[in-house]
Amino acid sequence: MKLKVASKILDANDRIANENTKMLKDRGIFSINLMSSPGAGKTTLLEKTISSLSSSVGIAVIEGDVAGSDDAERIDRLNIPVVQINTGGGCHLDASMVQEALNDLPLQKVKLLFIENVGNLVCPAEFNLGEDIKVMLLSIAEGHDKPLKYPLMFQTSSALVINKIDLAPYVNADIEKIKRDALSLNPSIKIFEVSCQTGQGLDKWTDWLLTHCS
Amino acid sequence: MHEVSVAESLLKTVVEQAAAHNCTRIEKIILRIGRASGVVSEALVFAFDALKPGTMAENAVIEVMDVPVAGKCETCGSDFSVEEKYVLACPSCGSPSFVITSGRELELSELEVY
Repeated sequence: MKLKVASKILDANDRIANENTKMLKDRGIFSINLMSSPGAGKTTLLEKTISSLSSSVGIAVIEGDVAGSDDAERIDRLNIPVVQINTGGGCHLDASMVQEALNDLPLQKVKLLFIENVGNLVCPAEFNLGEDIKVMLLSIAEGHDKPLKYPLMFQTSSALVINKIDLAPYVNADIEKIKRDALSLNPSIKIFEVSCQTGQGLDKWTDWLLTHCS
Repeated sequence: MHEVSVAESLLKTVVEQAAAHNCTRIEKIILRIGRASGVVSEALVFAFDALKPGTMAENAVIEVMDVPVAGKCETCGSDFSVEEKYVLACPSCGSPSFVITSGRELELSELEVY
């Protein structure tokens, strides 16, 4: 017997992602899936963001890594609810991992949730976690060729944070090209240029985040 | 890179579908995979073949329908299809304003079950 199915292969993941979305929406929580390569500065961006916003908005963090709990410990020091997921080799987070983490997080006062994905420019873009938006972080030290090499990451993200701009004099990266190529791939992508080291540009990023938190 | 997780999800879906129709054997699985989906068909089939022994899909053969990237230009209105995995400008008029209409599919299209 032939069955016409026409369903998505990642249906199982998407179903759980929809449950996550509903759970977060019911609580009025805005959620961000933060993606980048390893070492671009995701956790540092979160630390700076938390320092700036935690007095005005309730924040929680889910940390995704292949192994270890260093990132969760860094967030924990800021007195923010955090759960560490270890994928044990997996190259991305999926919706069921996030669902389990959400069950472990005290969400009563939370209005803004960051899900820090596993450092990887390929797979995280494919798996819907139930988040409101994806945000891509790229450090200029990685080179200006990344948008065209990893287009899906830039196409699926609502915002691009370009980090480590204080390194511009030392690395051969053309920031204008990064912006041009990212906008070609995704004309509606919102771009921020920041340095987590000096704090440059972070206010625009945090102001933008606040516009999403009711 | 994540084809094993995609294959796990696929196996779960096809077994559920077959069971829902009171079938015990899956012989053929037809997929539609877009070129911009991020999934390499050969790696997906390889991963699925490694996962299927001992399941209803033990003897299942996967057939992949390749879906090229296509779009519609919002400036000149032309419908286009390209060989590349992504589009930076409308191939007809060069405009950066276009919508991608296909190429990201990762779909289970048809099953042959008994």
